[in-house]
Amino acid sequence: MPDSRAEGGGHLKTKIKDRTRMRNRSKEHEEVEYESRSVRELLTEMKDISEIIVDLAYSALILDAKEIGEEVRELETRMDKLNYQIRLTALVASRSMRDAESLTGILQVASAAEKISNAAGDIVDLLDENIDTRPFLPFVLQDADEKFNVIRVDPESELAGRTIVDSRIGTRTGATVIAVNRRSGWIFDLHKSFRVRGNDLLIVRGTQHGHEKLLRFAKGKSPRERGTKSEVRR
Amino acid sequence: MNSDNSVVKGKHEADFSTTAKLLLELKDTSELMVDLAYSALLYDNEDIADEIVSMEEIADDLEKELQISAMNDMREHADPKKSFVIIRLADAMEKIADAAVSIADVVLRDIERNPVVSLSLQDSKVTIASVSVAMGSTLAGKSLGEVKLASQSGMWVIAIKRDRRYIYGPDENTILNKGDLLIARGPKEGEVVLRKMAAS
Repeated sequence: MPDSRAEGGGHLKTKIKDRTRMRNRSKEHEEVEYESRSVRELLTEMKDISEIIVDLAYSALILDAKEIGEEVRELETRMDKLNYQIRLTALVASRSMRDAESLTGILQVASAAEKISNAAGDIVDLLDENIDTRPFLPFVLQDADEKFNVIRVDPESELAGRTIVDSRIGTRTGATVIAVNRRSGWIFDLHKSFRVRGNDLLIVRGTQHGHEKLLRFAKGKSPRERGTKSEVRR
Repeated sequence: MNSDNSVVKGKHEADFSTTAKLLLELKDTSELMVDLAYSALLYDNEDIADEIVSMEEIADDLEKELQISAMNDMREHADPKKSFVIIRLADAMEKIADAAVSIADVVLRDIERNPVVSLSLQDSKVTIASVSVAMGSTLAGKSLGEVKLASQSGMWVIAIKRDRRYIYGPDENTILNKGDLLIARGPKEGEVVLRKMAAS
């Protein structure tokens, strides 16, 4: 495992806390099941973060959004913790040379995911540079096959009031919603039950064609449909 | 992959054309490498892992070219800060590429595979699917751009296995053949849609 020295002294407090929590937890659960499930869950979360965090970092630069930058920082910290937890859990699970060998692979993937999140952190570091030094970046980054876009959800549109899963944005447009901005602030944790509201701003990544399709879904209904609706509304 | 990528071409682009092109290429390369790395891991596929290692050399070269190009811009525009920002961004992209290589390395090393790896990848929000294009499929004989696969299914094709060869990072002009094995990433529900499109 190439990266075993990554924990700095600064994390000592968290380390001790985690360690106690781990010990308590492993008593509660049947050992084998706990270990395999846990490494599996930790790795899944790390993989998911490694993917969303890069999207967030680029969109922070494109939109010059400090808040997205802060979310990247938080995810980076979360990733550090996860990387530490997965090592502990793997060490506890390892009983033989064979175990150890196959767990090293997992730990290497975990630390690669952490490296990606560090790189995302480096990207949002650029937000601290004067904006005059980077006005060209949005133009450059936006020329890619998949672009980042901001879409406002019309309260009358079919997206308003539905979850992202229900409205099938992903399969119908290919666009991925990576963050949502509403009057109360930013929302990054877009779990399955997250409901889009009218006037939400969706930060999405997708192809130009997908973007155009999504724009149609996010727009209000056509006058004809609206007419029908107002008839229904007594 | 999409044919219409001309929307946000700005006035700034002219000033940084070579640098911009290189930066974009490095960004695309690093992202494709990560996508490929996770799929190499999921399928325990050494061919894909090997490709990631050779893409890393390309990424290295791109970064070097980019640094030189950014320094040239600096000389022309007397704006060191701009070039500094570009060089740092390129460095972050290169780190992402490195991380992809270290994932590929797990596949290439001759160690016993831990089943937990593919289980965790399957639990992920972003799914990876391999789907073969059937004889009578609407996809066969058409380009990725024509079928607008990404926006119709949500799935983004990262590699195509044709006979024994691979096409990595196909674009909108890549024609799909019957018998092609598509390796794509996207939302879980997208896999079902892609399978339907690829079936006869």
